[in-house]
Amino acid sequence: MQPIKRPLPRAAIAALILLLSAAAVSAQDRLRIYTVNYPLAYFAERIAGDLAEVTFPAPGDVDPAFWMPDAETIAAYQAADLILLNGADYEKWTGKVSLPRSRLVDTSRAFRDAYIREAGGITHSHGPGGEHDHGGLAFTTWLDLSQAAQQAEAIAQALIRKSPDAKEEIERNLHALRDDLLALDERIAEITRTDPGRPLLASHPVYQYLARRYGLNLISVMWEPEELPNEGQWNALEGILEDHPARWMLWEGEPGQATATRLRALGIDSLVLDPCANRPAKGDFLTVMTENARNLDRIFGKGAGER
Amino acid sequence: MIDSLYVAWRYLRYHWGRSLTLVVCVTLIAVLPLALELLLDESKRQLLARAETTPLVVGAKGSSLDLVMNSLYFGDSVPEPISMAAVDRIADTDLALPVPLYVRFKARGLPIVGTNLDYFDFRGLKIQAGRNLALLGECVLGARAAEALGLGPGDALLSSPETLFDLAGVYPMKMRVVGVLAPTQSADDLAVFVDLKTAWVIQGLVHGHQDLGAVTDPTLVMERTDGNLTATAKLVQYTEITPENINSFHLHGSPADYPITAILALPHDKKSAALLRGRYVAAGDQGEPQQILVPADVIAGLLASIFRIKSVLDAVILVVGTATVLALVLVLALSLRLRAGEIATIFKLGCSRATIARLLGAEIAIILAAAALLTGLLLAVVGHHDEALVRALFIR
Repeated sequence: MQPIKRPLPRAAIAALILLLSAAAVSAQDRLRIYTVNYPLAYFAERIAGDLAEVTFPAPGDVDPAFWMPDAETIAAYQAADLILLNGADYEKWTGKVSLPRSRLVDTSRAFRDAYIREAGGITHSHGPGGEHDHGGLAFTTWLDLSQAAQQAEAIAQALIRKSPDAKEEIERNLHALRDDLLALDERIAEITRTDPGRPLLASHPVYQYLARRYGLNLISVMWEPEELPNEGQWNALEGILEDHPARWMLWEGEPGQATATRLRALGIDSLVLDPCANRPAKGDFLTVMTENARNLDRIFGKGAGER
Repeated sequence: MIDSLYVAWRYLRYHWGRSLTLVVCVTLIAVLPLALELLLDESKRQLLARAETTPLVVGAKGSSLDLVMNSLYFGDSVPEPISMAAVDRIADTDLALPVPLYVRFKARGLPIVGTNLDYFDFRGLKIQAGRNLALLGECVLGARAAEALGLGPGDALLSSPETLFDLAGVYPMKMRVVGVLAPTQSADDLAVFVDLKTAWVIQGLVHGHQDLGAVTDPTLVMERTDGNLTATAKLVQYTEITPENINSFHLHGSPADYPITAILALPHDKKSAALLRGRYVAAGDQGEPQQILVPADVIAGLLASIFRIKSVLDAVILVVGTATVLALVLVLALSLRLRAGEIATIFKLGCSRATIARLLGAEIAIILAAAALLTGLLLAVVGHHDEALVRALFIR
């Protein structure tokens, strides 16, 4: 027997149309925010809630600090209501594209005097520009979670300027995020306070702000997790170890088995401390940072000192 | 009366050369001051319209007129540069949006305007063909610039060297035209817009070259000491930005030190404008190297000077006009003397003195009417093209 098809009542159709158009209007009203890295996208999502549509367009397998968007993505950035920059020369691609200054928000501007300047490569001179080098600023500012909280505050201020009516909601969300960040900041500080002078190694120079904030005695090399270091790099490491007897090396990602084994032979354990510049496969910024804190606890926790 | 007009008309037609000269003389006397008045009114309107929509201009201390003319109309006089730090200074006050301008270079005689996308929003400039600026090395043409150069999206445009004989200077840069703006009947129509960073590339401050760390050719290196490398002039710097070499382009030093010619400061409201002006005025006593200007005031000053000059011109025209009128009277008086025999014949034919006077009056009336008609026609033509004439003669 065929089921009886009843036509939808007119009132239901009207209600559906109203609902759909309300959703469309709401989507149009939402601010469009583009960010240059994942931490800023996470902060913006937490602070803006439903007020904004936050987009971080870099592919998941690139380091956003060295990424260059294509023309289509640049056009999307140009059309955004707010473009959240990390500052500290993080987003080098912005120096090669045209973006509207009125919509740019340099989230680390409040602490620009506290940027860490890295020693550059070879200084050189040519033409009328005089001597210069291409060294720059350390840019993983958010690894100092107190700085991350300031960046979140800059995002909130920019959002309030764009949506003054939502000030209360934005501030409420900001306070919740700041509480989370500062609680974690306090926890990491507590962990590292137990042995501040402990020598540590980093596979890459990305932990400068982390080291400064939490008093880590850290020396960085230039190793890639997926590449086996050459003999010259191993020799250089052994040279470092003579004055800096580190027992742990921090990595951005899991190192190769061969590298980890050879490091272990030198008495060095490997440990991942993910800067979380790109969107993590699992969890979010806060869960990754909590995991980082847990890993640091393995270095500084009770019993680790005997290693 | 009709008869008198007919006879006068026949007479003027017979002596067409003399009649035409008289009509042209009278027309010129009438047209010159009236056309000048029309054009000055239009130039006043154009100058004030752009100045009144530009709230504040910040630039180096010096000629305020040069600064405003360069920033608003892209005039040839380039003011002393200021640094990008001045832009940050305004941004930090949170009183106004700073829109930097670097108007120094030219491409085939047209001004290259280095700015950012906020300028397009501020002036309401719309892309008519192609797209807006996105990457370093791109340019967008004003409507009349595109027409004059015969270029459109996809074409290339070379910047002009600042001095022809500066062999050691910066090479012309090949810019990609990516868009053409819709006409606005303003100075923007005749400009070539580039991103500020592209303007610095033209100047050679931002540049791309081979990786000096990886150089193997010994003739490229003048000196190599510990941690320092000095390249020779042989090192090739790119003169065109392509997807292959764009990543080699870099700034030297802090962007805050880079030059611009002016900043359009767009205050959030009247109070912010007053506060911002107050800060510059207060700093003026302590050796402030920059000035803040209200373009409408500067242009009003310029117009006052123009109208002072106009009153002199009016006096000159009055004197010349009076002399011409006197000459015309003389011509008529002399022609009456020449026509003495002719007038005597008319009298002997039975015409009264009043009829003779009516005949001569009709001749003068026809000449004046023809001159008035011609004046009206010429003024209508000037009035129709006043916008273009003012742009061609006064503002560019």
